[in-house]
Amino acid sequence: MSRFTRIAYHLSRLVLGGLFLYAGLVKAGDVTAFARDVANYKILPYSWNYLVAATLPYIEFLAGLLLVANRRVRPAALVTGGLTAVFMLILATVVARGLDIDCGCFRPGGHTTATQALWRDAGILLLCIATYRLRDRSAP
Amino acid sequence: MIAETRRILLEAVVIVLLGVVLGLSFNGRLLLNVFSGRLPQTQVETEPRALYPVPVDLAAVRELTAAGAVLIDARAAELYADGHLPGARSLPLGEMDEHLEAFRRAVPTDAVIITYCNGYGCPDSFDQGVRLLAAGWRDVRVFEGGYPEWRDAGLPVEQGAP
Repeated sequence: MSRFTRIAYHLSRLVLGGLFLYAGLVKAGDVTAFARDVANYKILPYSWNYLVAATLPYIEFLAGLLLVANRRVRPAALVTGGLTAVFMLILATVVARGLDIDCGCFRPGGHTTATQALWRDAGILLLCIATYRLRDRSAP
Repeated sequence: MIAETRRILLEAVVIVLLGVVLGLSFNGRLLLNVFSGRLPQTQVETEPRALYPVPVDLAAVRELTAAGAVLIDARAAELYADGHLPGARSLPLGEMDEHLEAFRRAVPTDAVIITYCNGYGCPDSFDQGVRLLAAGWRDVRVFEGGYPEWRDAGLPVEQGAP
């Protein structure tokens, strides 16, 4: 790995990991508020929104923790990439359905429109891909 | 290479499963309550109140009004008298404070409201939509093309003082 690649790898890994750690932590801190955000997407039966709200933040937290700790980076980047891709699909349906809702991406109650969230997620997806691809396979 | 990909996929699945197990163990009681029908009290209101009205086009205005939406003319009363959309109520933005209570008695808060003014250059209908949402109405739309677009489309207009 060249010096530049190494710096780019660590930078994207840390930013991605930090983002998911933060997102997971704040959502896990207020599960009911997050459940309300999930409910606003009108995709799942009502009670199931709680199941997503109760588990998703911990997946984000775990993946973020592994990325920051530089352990199991590729699987963690795959998880964050998968979550982001699925989320972008859902956001696209939000835009198509014309719903005006807060995306519930980070702080519950903070207002981000679906289109803004889509752009941000496109950036996050690029980070996931960069982290995955730049990872030196010989590293742990 | 394939073995490597398989390992990465497997570990990704393990991360997801671990997250689910952690989430279930931290929130087990909440989920038990929810799935047994005892939703947390804070969740009664599922949707945060909208802050901004939703823009609608001419075709949507015709559909919504045919379905019973309330049309509101945000322009001054003189302009309303010169010509307005059929069935529209006059509620000039500058006089909202004095007319709001009467309006509240006449229009329920769960009605679909469409507000319009003098076309795309006119911000009054949007501002009025914001104020109506803040005052408790839940479904407020803005017809941004307003009176000029309606008239220029050759659709019928009404005249007369409010």
